[in-house]
Amino acid sequence: MGKYLVKRIFYMLLTLFLVATITFFLMKLMPGSPYANQQKMTPEQLQIMNEQYGLNKPVWQQYLIYLLGLVKGDLGTSFQYSNQPVSYLISSRIGPSGQLGLQAIIFGLVIGIVIGAIGAINKNTWIDTSSTILSILGISIPSFVLAVLLQYYVGLKLGWLPIADWGGFSYTILPTIALGVGPLAETARFIRTEMVDVLSSDYIELAKAKGLTKFGVVFHHALRNSLIPLVTLIGPYTVALMTGSMVVENIFSIPGIGEQFVKSILTNDFPTIMGVTMLYSAGLVVVILLTDIIYGIIDPRIRLTGRRN
Amino acid sequence: MKLKSVLKLSGVLALSVVVLAACGSKSSSSDSKELADKQVINWSETAELPSMDLSTATDTVSFNMLNNTNEGLYSIGKNSKVSNALATKTTISKDGMTYTFNLRDSKWSNGDDVTAQDFVYSWQRTVNPKTASQYGYLFSGIKNYDAISTGKMAPTTLGVKATDKHTLVVTLDKKVPYFKLLMGFPSFYPQNQKSVEKFGSKYGTQSKYMVYNGPFVLDGWTGTNLNWKLKKNNTYWDKKAVKLTEMNFQVSKDNTTSYNLYQSKKLDMTNLSAEQAKTLNMDKDYITRKQASTFYLQYNQKNKLFQNKKIRQAISLVINRKQFVDKILGDGSTVASGLVSTGLASNPKTGTDFAKESAVKMAASTDVTEAKKLWKAGLKEVGVSKASFSIMSEDTDKAKKTNEFLQNAIEDNLDGADVTLINIPFKSRLARSTSGDFDIVVTAWGADFSDPISFLDLFTSDNSQNGGKWKNSEYDALIKASKTTDASNPDKRWDDLVKAEKILMEDQGISPLYQMSQAQLLRSTVKGVIYNGAGVNYNFKGAYVTK
Repeated sequence: MGKYLVKRIFYMLLTLFLVATITFFLMKLMPGSPYANQQKMTPEQLQIMNEQYGLNKPVWQQYLIYLLGLVKGDLGTSFQYSNQPVSYLISSRIGPSGQLGLQAIIFGLVIGIVIGAIGAINKNTWIDTSSTILSILGISIPSFVLAVLLQYYVGLKLGWLPIADWGGFSYTILPTIALGVGPLAETARFIRTEMVDVLSSDYIELAKAKGLTKFGVVFHHALRNSLIPLVTLIGPYTVALMTGSMVVENIFSIPGIGEQFVKSILTNDFPTIMGVTMLYSAGLVVVILLTDIIYGIIDPRIRLTGRRN
Repeated sequence: MKLKSVLKLSGVLALSVVVLAACGSKSSSSDSKELADKQVINWSETAELPSMDLSTATDTVSFNMLNNTNEGLYSIGKNSKVSNALATKTTISKDGMTYTFNLRDSKWSNGDDVTAQDFVYSWQRTVNPKTASQYGYLFSGIKNYDAISTGKMAPTTLGVKATDKHTLVVTLDKKVPYFKLLMGFPSFYPQNQKSVEKFGSKYGTQSKYMVYNGPFVLDGWTGTNLNWKLKKNNTYWDKKAVKLTEMNFQVSKDNTTSYNLYQSKKLDMTNLSAEQAKTLNMDKDYITRKQASTFYLQYNQKNKLFQNKKIRQAISLVINRKQFVDKILGDGSTVASGLVSTGLASNPKTGTDFAKESAVKMAASTDVTEAKKLWKAGLKEVGVSKASFSIMSEDTDKAKKTNEFLQNAIEDNLDGADVTLINIPFKSRLARSTSGDFDIVVTAWGADFSDPISFLDLFTSDNSQNGGKWKNSEYDALIKASKTTDASNPDKRWDDLVKAEKILMEDQGISPLYQMSQAQLLRSTVKGVIYNGAGVNYNFKGAYVTK
């Protein structure tokens, strides 16, 4: 296991290094400068600004300087927010995004598992059909459409929850639902299919024959075994929620990271582009590693190292 | 793209429901003059506040906040009227090259006195190339700026001196006719040296790393968050004139959200998108804020076609601008009659608006028959029977719609015209504009201060931003005269500028398209907010709330 981990971490670092390199050079291909008032500056002024920020140096030198900073943990200073270190920009805005993402995953998984399980137990009844319809709706309605509708009806018309802004838990409910319904629907559909399979397997028949209660059969045997493949879905969900929440963050005026990323690309804010890209990539590789490790632990059929215990 | 339309559609649907619902509700009291008990305004912003360092700020939100939390020699009032702020008396030398300002007693929010030395420090800090200010060019004209900006001279040699605590002397090396207007722009405000040095690299990055000398102080701004407050500054010298106790700012980047917040009374102002403006323009709270920003077509003189005046005129004449601003944009924008925006400056003698006085019939009218004639003649002069060219613009929805409208107008009316459209991101567009890599580009210019020169400087032949390379020696001479021989004579200078604009328009060096406006809903109980289209947009010092 230890050897395996070292190997995986080495690959992770290699991946991050490649991401940093490719992003850096792609970014440098973008036309224009990172200065907001570029339109009104003369070429001489631009030249002086470039000297101040070291942007007049050859790209490979800028790249080495960046890598050196990265190793030291220095992500540079943002151009959009003058004097603001990128690390501060990210750390002050990752909280709300992370909280929402986490809440949305938990909400989606828990409700999704319940709905999927209920559907599977009541296979081919009206309950099953309704849960399937719910899943299809959840998958087909984009999160931002749901966000607008929730905001208008629940926030403005009914006045039950805040329309927008970021304050306490009540502010997170609508965006969590908007973000969580997609994963919820997918989980429900997935669990239903898995559970229908599991419920018809031999060991369930045996459990029933042993006289276990219906709850015991479903909870201890069927659900447990259906959950294992779900772990593979968590990785993609996390990524989707990290990158896909930008529009929802805008709609609910949440001080998150999603929109910063898009804005940094549009304004050529080089240090922020790199910072957020690295953050996303690091998050993704860590999640993938965790998924693989958890998978190995909970499913004995899968061995990370191929060695017998 | 499809998903986007779905979003929009649902937004529009939601809106129309709201509008219908609003029709039935009672109108709130609006014309009461009595002050409300709570003097608080909730204001909407569409972007974060990125910086409070007046030497490096670049965006409108920052300048708005700086303008309301700090103060310079003058303040800019309604219709860009300049009035004394920290200056009590201004003496201008006979040659117009030296300004002496007497300053009043006033304090920083940390208790320090605001002195003439604070101005000297601030200006020297801004022009220092190491500060990398993006608005440093505004200092051009102040003695030695040009040499300082390129690192040839030390910032301490800038033509600004504090002869005593309350006297500031500014020396120019060329006349700056709009000098007083500049003094009302935050780049020229003082800075408290002690604080700048104490906070170091953190200066101006959060509300606590900042001192103020204006009507308000900033509160609750963490540098990246979406809410902050302006609170009345109790150390401000003119605090009696400030009626508001607090202003809350809420960033909502989605106009539907801010409109929902407006309806639930969480906001007193909301900016409207074009779709919203089209449905809400009969609302009693609906207003439009005219910006000093003109959109126009710039022709590349490297292209043989556009060296021909008749071709430029023909293109301009087929554009039905009225139809364009009403039907296509619908966001309150108005037809631009020339380059200099309406409401920017008025004749020092008669008070007539610059745009009106310099209007040329040819510049922004529609006459398809005449256009066809000119087009035919123009093509003949160039020696071609067909003309293919591109129109370049940005990749926003608005820019795309603009491009399509222009393409239709030109291809439908001018025989043999074949227009391709190029829609690219702003930064790419800018790079190609500057390097002259385009046929026609739809572009905009916003004025930094309320003087026509802010626009007209752009098309002198040696201006680096004149990417189309339109050239006219008479135009150059007039602009030069306005800065030299006629600089101290407001009437003559005005005439020079009017003539210059007329030349540009008659020659269609550029074809004006529209002047940008921002449609808003503003609660009718909010009074006294001063808006200017150029420079800093908002001044809240005299704002108040009625019952």
